[in-house]
Amino acid sequence: MSSTMRPYLRYPATWKSALLSLAILAIAVAAAFPLVWMVLSSLKTPAESMQVPPVWIPGSPNFDAYWEVAEVVNLDRSFVNSAFIALATTTAIVVTSLMAGYAFAKYNFPGRDWLFAALIATMFLPPIVTLIPLYRMTGYLGLNANLLGVVVPNLANAFGIFLMRQYIKGVPNDLIDAARVDGASELTILFKIVAPAVLPAIAALTLFAFVYHWNSYLWPLTVLQGNTDQYPIVISLSRLLSYNRGAMNTGLVMAGATLAVLPPVVLFVFLQRFFVDSIVATGVKG
Amino acid sequence: MIGRNPRSVIGMLAPATGLIAIFVFVPMALTIALSFTQWSTQTGFETAQFVGLANFFDLFGPTSIGRDFRAAFFNTAIYTGLSVALILPLSVVLGLMVHQTFAPGGIVLRTVLFSTYMVPMIAVALVWSKLYSPTEGPFNQVLGWIGIPPQTWLSSPNTALVSIVLLNVWQQVGYFTVLAVAGLTQIPTTLYEAARVDGASPWMQFWKITLPLLRNTLLFSAVIAVINAVQVFEPVALITQGGPVNSTNVMTYHIRRVGIERAQGGLGSAMAVTLMLSLIVVIVLLFAAFRDREEQR
Repeated sequence: MSSTMRPYLRYPATWKSALLSLAILAIAVAAAFPLVWMVLSSLKTPAESMQVPPVWIPGSPNFDAYWEVAEVVNLDRSFVNSAFIALATTTAIVVTSLMAGYAFAKYNFPGRDWLFAALIATMFLPPIVTLIPLYRMTGYLGLNANLLGVVVPNLANAFGIFLMRQYIKGVPNDLIDAARVDGASELTILFKIVAPAVLPAIAALTLFAFVYHWNSYLWPLTVLQGNTDQYPIVISLSRLLSYNRGAMNTGLVMAGATLAVLPPVVLFVFLQRFFVDSIVATGVKG
Repeated sequence: MIGRNPRSVIGMLAPATGLIAIFVFVPMALTIALSFTQWSTQTGFETAQFVGLANFFDLFGPTSIGRDFRAAFFNTAIYTGLSVALILPLSVVLGLMVHQTFAPGGIVLRTVLFSTYMVPMIAVALVWSKLYSPTEGPFNQVLGWIGIPPQTWLSSPNTALVSIVLLNVWQQVGYFTVLAVAGLTQIPTTLYEAARVDGASPWMQFWKITLPLLRNTLLFSAVIAVINAVQVFEPVALITQGGPVNSTNVMTYHIRRVGIERAQGGLGSAMAVTLMLSLIVVIVLLFAAFRDREEQR
């Protein structure tokens, strides 16, 4: 977990150091370019976005495209749907992962390691493999064409269990035993003692789950069956492509994309330490 | 430490394991079972008719089903191979740039790279479809500045799949860079100090210390990159619809089209099983390849 907590560094003031810094900066600019282009294009007039050769800086930046997106795709509704999907799954995942992670980290029971291995294996299963029967199953449950159908199959996942177990293992047993002696129930111990002790892991899981489910496309597209009222923003966004106003919809598409990108990227920029730490924890210690 | 009583163990495990059992293990078993049946996705599971290996013979047979499936299979294989071949070396180079303490800018680079990983794939696909535009797209203009003729990008069967690979590499490389940095952090600095005392050049240090000690990280990265790559869906569904001339038809897109849109659930399940088995083979081979190298040292 040390990667983000480096002490203040003293860089040698040599031309080699400056050159490397310049190279790093150039790569960062190149990597950021598609996103910068997206935002710039969303501010262009329709004529500008069609111009050959391309216009890089909009002549008279305006937010017209954003207002049009809001009308065309019922933006507020899509945003609420996305927020519901991301928040409901994230909350459930954090709770179910904490509970199972605690059991795997601190309980001894027959078949524990075997069960854990079976769960971890599902981390590596591409969702397309189970898509067809799952679609039929949600149909049986009456959840197709329904927002709940997007959420219900995703209330728990192996990554969360794995992450929580890794961190909860580090919580001292004495702390838990002392609470037991005081007569605390297991759930009280989990939520009052263990959870606060692994707060960075909870933050990381919250952000991972939120971003994953905010961004997810394949399953919502499949289960919602074209019920546009229930569309999350990433699927509403694809409708912008077919919304054709004289083929001049580039600015519109870019405005929609910018709006969809904002929540996950803003979350990340402010809380990147937790993301990075959890990758370090899962990627190396795992 | 032993839990207070068996009931608390079951209580703690039930929500997560129950949900994963119902929504991952059950559909997984159903996929395998349905792959041996003829079944319309629009009807109940009880209507599935056992047909043995017929679906698999169809997939590898000479009919149009087999041709489309093989195209999707090989496109996915090429896409995956290219993605991994680009992502792994890039992640090491970028990881070194983030990790080094010789020049400022590493953290900025990491933030930018990892931000792209947070962008919804759908937005990535939409933005890149415009960047690739042969006339009003900036890529061809930039190439023009340095004297390279305009490329066809997504509009030609020769370049479409590679274009989607580049888009994927751009989006994913930040995640693998962070993994590489995590691996680099684990290498004891004393090794480098000793090497410097022995007069080893930075180049030698990279090949003799950094790379060998990154082996586990690279294996993990390769496995994740393969699994991520076979899932490519959004750019294909959105920009190319498998075209031009089937050149970007990939497994995820094809399985969904057959199994959900055309409701051929048995056939789609057989494709999903084939994908799953191929994935297991590739991952076993990756482990074997990395272990071989270990033994040679």
